[in-house]
Amino acid sequence: MLIPRRVKHRKQHHPGRSGASKGGNNLAFGEYGIQALTPAYVTNRQIESARIAINRHIRRGGKVWINIYPDRPLTKKPAETRMGSGKGSPEWWVANVKPGRVLFELSYPNEERAREALLRATHKLPLKCRIIKREAGDI
Amino acid sequence: MAEIRLSAENRTEFGKGFARRARAVNKIPGVVYGHGEPVRHVLLPGHDLMIALRTSNVLLSLDFGDGTTQLVLPKDVQKDPVKRTLEHVDLLLVRQGEKVTVDVAVTPVGEVVTGAVLDQPLTSVSVLTEATHIPTSFEVDVEKKEEGFQLFARDLQLPEGVELLTDGDQLVLHVAATRGEVSEEAAEAAEGEGDAGDAAGE
Repeated sequence: MLIPRRVKHRKQHHPGRSGASKGGNNLAFGEYGIQALTPAYVTNRQIESARIAINRHIRRGGKVWINIYPDRPLTKKPAETRMGSGKGSPEWWVANVKPGRVLFELSYPNEERAREALLRATHKLPLKCRIIKREAGDI
Repeated sequence: MAEIRLSAENRTEFGKGFARRARAVNKIPGVVYGHGEPVRHVLLPGHDLMIALRTSNVLLSLDFGDGTTQLVLPKDVQKDPVKRTLEHVDLLLVRQGEKVTVDVAVTPVGEVVTGAVLDQPLTSVSVLTEATHIPTSFEVDVEKKEEGFQLFARDLQLPEGVELLTDGDQLVLHVAATRGEVSEEAAEAAEGEGDAGDAAGE
């Protein structure tokens, strides 16, 4: 599972969720991709789950790129704890995804199977997204 | 490739307010520059421009209505990341017969042999070509190509008058072998091992 090896600050503020993605909005490597349509925190478990869903469907013969990285920690206070006594402990690692961001890319010879693989991956993600394909005018 | 004619008008107002009002009536703000001439701010018809830009490196002829026309190439296109609508376009001034540097797509045609997979690390190459004769794409025949087939940038069949700028030693595409279909159990076992390794790392 994706997790930062070392971070400067163990407990951070929640990442901002407003606005649209400023970069990584186009396909850079593969022919097909998953593009976010809503903002979300995508955890490393969800990324891993989506990756496995793609790999299990395409089996061999394709290549998958993960364009997001869960580099932001989210904290949580233990259950039934009184308020105060400082910030909770890090619980999740998330990628801050904004609308427009391409999350996964896939290169695969069969379009139908590639789209089905990506569709299965979208079911593992906590946001609305669409499947995009490389077009002539993209260059 | 024939040029596409677009009617253009000079833009006199600037800023996001004016740009938003222009987009609301389906006009796209743009800027024309190049050859050391003064920068010209223009408004272009949204729908016609969108259709024209579906072709990569399309040559546009801007008609300003006062008898002046300018040949331009799209240099940079800004789109809304979600709606994919055009927001702004940068246009580079070119002249008849002038040579320009553009990225041209490499398109594989055909199907490789069964059991092999086509991998294309480089989807476009940079070339120096005449602005009025830009190739739309370089087609590569991969029909029935077997495992081990490699195509480097220097191997591309370029039309006359087109010069390759990308490093010739760069791999454009190759045919790799697949190791056969894996069973569901084997795939799960492989994934499980990966997960166990990650957990140990944590």
